[in-house]
Formats: sequence, structure tokens, C-alpha cells
Amino acid sequence: MAHVSVPMYWRTIPQRYRLVGLKCKKCGSVNFPPKGVCKYCNASSEFEEIKLSGRGKVHTFVLISAGGAPPEFADQEKAGGQYPVAIVQLEEGPKVIGQIADADPKEVKMDMPVTTELRKIYTEEGVIRYGFKFVPERK
Amino acid sequence: MSLVTIGISGYGVYVPRLRIKKEDYAKAWGSFSAAGVGEKSVMGFDEDVLTAAAKVSRRALESVPTTPNSVTRFAIASTSPPYLEKLLSGTVMVSVGMPNYALSSDHITSTRAGTEAMLAGFEHVTANPKGVALVAAADAPLASMWDSIEHALGAGAAAFVLSNENLIAELEGHASYASEYFGERFKSRNETLVHDLNVKKFSESSLIKNATSAGTALLNKLGRKPEEYNHVVIQQPDARVPATIGARMQFTDLQLAAGMTAKVLGDLGAASTPVSLAAVLDVAKVGDKIMVISYGSGAGSDALSFKVVSDRKSTIRFQAEADRKEYIDYVKYLKLKGAIL
Repeated sequence: MAHVSVPMYWRTIPQRYRLVGLKCKKCGSVNFPPKGVCKYCNASSEFEEIKLSGRGKVHTFVLISAGGAPPEFADQEKAGGQYPVAIVQLEEGPKVIGQIADADPKEVKMDMPVTTELRKIYTEEGVIRYGFKFVPERK
Repeated sequence: MSLVTIGISGYGVYVPRLRIKKEDYAKAWGSFSAAGVGEKSVMGFDEDVLTAAAKVSRRALESVPTTPNSVTRFAIASTSPPYLEKLLSGTVMVSVGMPNYALSSDHITSTRAGTEAMLAGFEHVTANPKGVALVAAADAPLASMWDSIEHALGAGAAAFVLSNENLIAELEGHASYASEYFGERFKSRNETLVHDLNVKKFSESSLIKNATSAGTALLNKLGRKPEEYNHVVIQQPDARVPATIGARMQFTDLQLAAGMTAKVLGDLGAASTPVSLAAVLDVAKVGDKIMVISYGSGAGSDALSFKVVSDRKSTIRFQAEADRKEYIDYVKYLKLKGAIL
């Protein structure tokens, strides 16, 4: 398992629970997850915090099946079956990787509108690691 | 009664997508022991009561609409918290974006917790007329697969924004009753699963005593007759209990109909009366009166009376949540519940 220590995970709570990103004061691009130096202009480390809407579209995705899941997600695959992992283009610009929850894996499509909600990501050291996952947007 | 008018300014409901039918239980066990329950809701592997509470909290705030930073009081209710010791409310507050300085409380020791949390919220907005309370009840109770109480256990969540502005339903009054009963639906210190000694008549006598005492006390306080209520919501450990209590209090099946969530979702524990109240608010008309009576083993009941004052509804209706579903079989159900070790 890719070990993420409790303090390290804790530091990412604003981005994982609430999608807090950083907007570059120089070029205006939104960095998510947050970066030390703007990954778009490479010329600024001055940002303002911005809460992303969570809305976006599926850019591309894969279905993870038996044997394909990383160890921390193996139990999820065994109990819940195949699950989709997508790269989502958020409406503020960034492309973000995340699972798609609350959907039949067969119904996941490119360009499908999604939004985010809090889910359990995995449990390590007896600590439940919560964070966002994508879910199909409800009309 | 308070001098300021307080009540429900917004609400939201959530039902997990997965369902299991009673026929699947009957196939596995030869019988199904949850009276009147046709199917029930099941949480996905990556859900728990905190993720569900976060979801309904957002929906409730959006239905007002108001922002998370307006919240001055947060209360969460559940009998199946993911931790036995650790603050639960913080996870939801941070995820939703409520102020860290809001007073919060976790109500977790009985299925009465939903109304307990609502009354904590109402007390806050009575004492603080500018206050905004957000109350979330989410539950997915867990029992041993060998215990017949397990058959009814479902999953669902509802949240309410309580304040003195922008009301959908006014709180007309409330009454409570607590007493000492035991042997029914309990979790000892070293257990994570709900037990029931299956002394059915004894459990029923506790239920009747506590629920009718709280309900009757409220009717007397308000000078109301049972027939003056358009909707009555009663705790649903199964789908037969409301009729049993209703008959004692002269409430009819018609008054109970809109809030009978257990028929399609099962026993929602601490979220039973909150989810059922949300279902009723979806269909209630201005002027309608609603009685809510919760029950928690051990034992106690709260009764709350509401008058509907606005036609505003939450965007995502209970019926839409109930209709959105994917059936799973009993083996998949056991895997999701972690029953196969």
C-alpha cells in the first residue's frame, strides 16, 4: 500500500473535503491540487485560495476490475465490484483524477457531467480517509 | 412555547441507491422478519453516516437557500457512527464549510437521536433569534446476520435548517417522555452490533408506553385532537409499528401514509422520523398540520408538532430518491456489510 501518514493526509483535508484550490495571482490559472509554484506559468508562487464548484465533465476513464485495484482499494473492488476511475475536466480548468461513485460502471461515458461529494476513500491505521469522489450530476 | 416563531426553513433527503428485496432474504433464510417492509436501502462500500450527513446538509442549505457560513449550531444524529469515540460533527462541518466556531453536538445513543438533535437545534434558535441550526440525521444500523432484527435495517439521511426566518413549517410545540426499559435493541460497550433479546411483547409495551405518552402530552399541551393532523410520522423499526401506535392514539392509516418510508427503505434508525418528515414536507400543503413521534429503546420518545406555512420544497424530492435504485442480491449485501470474514 502506498502509505500516506496521518499528518500528511490531514494537510490535504481542505482540498479533499472541500476542493480548495489555488488561483495564480500572475496568470489567473487555477491549480488543483494546490502547487508550490503555478504549474501553468511556472513564474509565480503567489496564489489566492478558491473553492472549486466540483462540477466538471469526464475527460477519460477506466474501469478497475479484480486484480487491477491498488491494495488500499482491493477490499472495495472485492465487496462492491468493478469501479470507474476518471480524469475529470473541472469547470474552473484543472483536470483531476478521482473515482466515480454512485453510478453503474457501464453507464459512465466521456463528457458525462459530474459533480463531487464526500466519500470514504480508504482506511489505513484504523483511520478512515475521507475525500471527494465524482458522482453523476443529478438533473 | 417560544415567543418568536421558529421552525424549518429548509430540508434535504438522501437515500443510498442500492436496494435488497425481502424475497432475497426469504430465499436465504426461509423467511423475512421485518413486518410490512418490501425492500430496503443499502449504503455503498464507500459511504457511511458522515458522508450521507454531509450530502443532506448541503441539500438542506441549498433548499433555503442559504450558505454554510450562516450556520451557528450543528447537530448530527446516528446510531451507527463510524467511530465510537471521536467527534463526528467536525467531519461534516469541515466538508460542508460550516464555521468551526458553530456549537456542535453528536447524538448517538438511540434511534430517538434524530428528534433529540432537532430539539437541540430548536432550543438554539429559541435562545438565539438570529441563529441558524443545521441538523443532520443519517443512519445505517448494523446487526448480526443471525439476528432477526437485522432484516429490517436500511439506510437513509435527512437534514433540516432551523431558524426563525423563511419558514416552510412552524414548530407549534413539542413534548418528550423518557423511562426505563431494557433488553430491546441495545449495544453493550464491547459490541459494534445491535442486539435484541426478541422479547416482542415487552418491546411493544415499551414502544407503546413511550410513544403514546409523548404524543398525548403534546396533544394536551396544544389542545389538539388527533383528527386535526393531516400527516403523522411515527418511528419505524418496521412498517407495522406506526399503525400499532396510531391505533392507540386514534390516528388513521391515511394520516400515516405519506410518512411510511419503512415500506421501501426499511428501518432508518435515528433517521427514521427525519427522513419520513422530509417525505411528508414534500407533499404537504400550506395549512397542513404534521405530528412527528420518535422512539428510541431504553426508552424514550419525542413528539413535535408542525404547521406548514409555505409551498417551497426541496429540489431533490424523497420520491425521486426512493425511485432511484439498483437491486443487489443477498450475497452482495453480505459483502457490503462486511459479514463474510
